[in-house]
Amino acid sequence: MKAASPVSKRRGFHWRDHLQLYLIMLPVLAHIFIFSYIPMYGIVIAFQNYYPGKPFLSFGGEIDWVGFQHFIDFFNGPYFVRLMRNTFLLSFYFLIFGFWVPILFALLLNELRTGAFKKFVQTASYLPHFISNVVVAGMVLSFINVDGIINAFVKLFGGSPVALNTEPGYFPAIYTITSIWKAFGWGSILYLAAMSSVDPHLYEAAKIDGANRFKQMLNITLPSIRPTIFILLIFAIGSLLSANSEFILLIYNPMVYETADVIGTYLFREGLLGGNFSSGTAVGLLVSLINFTLLYTANALSRKYSDYALW
Amino acid sequence: MITALKRNPNKIRQGSIIVDIILYTMAIVICLITLYPFYYVIIMSISSPQEVAAMNVFLIPKGFFLGSYELILKDAKMWWAYSNTLIYVTAGAVLNCLMAVLGAYPLTVKNLKGRKWIVVFLLIPMYFGGGLIPTYLLINKLGMYNTMFAVIIPGMVSIWNIILVRTFFTTIPEGLKESAFIDGASHLQLLFKVILPISKPIIAVIAIYSVVGIWNSWFDALVYLPNEKLHPLQMYLYRVVVQQSVDLKTLSLEDTRHAVANMLSSIQLKYAIIVFTTLPVIFTYPFFQKYFIKGALLGSLKE
Repeated sequence: MKAASPVSKRRGFHWRDHLQLYLIMLPVLAHIFIFSYIPMYGIVIAFQNYYPGKPFLSFGGEIDWVGFQHFIDFFNGPYFVRLMRNTFLLSFYFLIFGFWVPILFALLLNELRTGAFKKFVQTASYLPHFISNVVVAGMVLSFINVDGIINAFVKLFGGSPVALNTEPGYFPAIYTITSIWKAFGWGSILYLAAMSSVDPHLYEAAKIDGANRFKQMLNITLPSIRPTIFILLIFAIGSLLSANSEFILLIYNPMVYETADVIGTYLFREGLLGGNFSSGTAVGLLVSLINFTLLYTANALSRKYSDYALW
Repeated sequence: MITALKRNPNKIRQGSIIVDIILYTMAIVICLITLYPFYYVIIMSISSPQEVAAMNVFLIPKGFFLGSYELILKDAKMWWAYSNTLIYVTAGAVLNCLMAVLGAYPLTVKNLKGRKWIVVFLLIPMYFGGGLIPTYLLINKLGMYNTMFAVIIPGMVSIWNIILVRTFFTTIPEGLKESAFIDGASHLQLLFKVILPISKPIIAVIAIYSVVGIWNSWFDALVYLPNEKLHPLQMYLYRVVVQQSVDLKTLSLEDTRHAVANMLSSIQLKYAIIVFTTLPVIFTYPFFQKYFIKGALLGSLKE
């Protein structure tokens, strides 16, 4: 085989190549078909009264089609307003209070001299990103407990202990602060990467022109990360209805549902644990569609105003 | 002069010393905010139970007591969960790498018919999915519910990983592939004998992403694994520190040293278990963070 003339051997593209390549991909394609596309088909139960044991689809009249009944019930249900409000607000607070933190942090790091200290600050700030949600939740819950460290400080300064974990009013702050704490260091990476590509001569020229450090930051560093800020902002807006329900599930409790219960947690509790598969799927579909629309709009905006787009 | 400036771009930016002091102070404060919660958990876990109960520990450990760690080390359930996690992490990392490589390679072959459609097929699930309940019903129908497969198999393909590996593969010179074909290699041979050995950097990124992701995951176990014997470490932690359905103090009641156990506050036990299960991550992450950074930067590139 190897003796054959290389030039004629390096042939055009044969059906055998195709067969090989498709076979190589087959496990991946099959997996995605089974675990991503079949559940999409399972969405049909949002329009039925499904219970386990029934087929998803059959033409023998076994299926109790109810049309949009589950959606209507959800809209008219007692929790609709609360769930939508909480889901939106928790994401919104994170955006408003959290979005600029990694930017400021990156600007600060950029002003530090390269060396062991800077590296240490960076490494320390990434740490929370690698810690599991369960551990972070366990720490937060014990800190906000009546006999936790936060109340210990409150008492130290002469205050009386606050029921941080049972008073709904505190939940958004606890969620937002913890989320920012967990994400700001890691969130600065893309900004730092953009800053590192700035030509040092720009700073030199600015210095000769008499610009001080603050002006250099304002006029050189900040413009260098503007595209990154813009892109990340658009996608943060695109995910305004996808609060981190996996984390909320860990730190909330029935006493703070008023401000803490979001669509994701409701879905898990009422849909999955409660066995309301059809109405749960309907709520999930609704959120998926809203999220997709938001993302699509964000992407369209991004494509229009910057040269970046996901598709 | 110019070369000196190039070597140290920071030098030309030096301003007043006061600004420096302010900046460095801010950096130190940020470090404290990030690290103090961990430090606090550690010193609480090793201080003497009386001081912990009196909430006297803030800056340095008071007294020294490792009784809570002793209790944890004796807990068979914890070791069981630990070994389960090792199984999940190993299987998950190997499968994730394999699937990412298998999925990525054909996409780099320009002549492949239907490549565009395959890409669309892969990308749609990134933006839209069936959701929690249809997936749950599927896992049930496949007979995976309450088996280890339920947390290993569904997560073994990540389109994100495939994109990362594909991006890396496209940087491999075409000449290398050409010469392999001239030697009569099939695509599979090319992939495993030529491309894979030079793709270690990206495989390391995928492996470490998977290891950390699976080590930290708990939600799938909550949904699919009612059997405690199958729970990973994070689920065990969830039961102890969040649900509080496991009381470690009851574990050693038959023990002759139960007086010690009664003396311990449950909060100290929780802190000890948090430290014990998080130390592997804290100690290793300074080494693997560079792979994470690499992955984050690669992923942010426009295709």
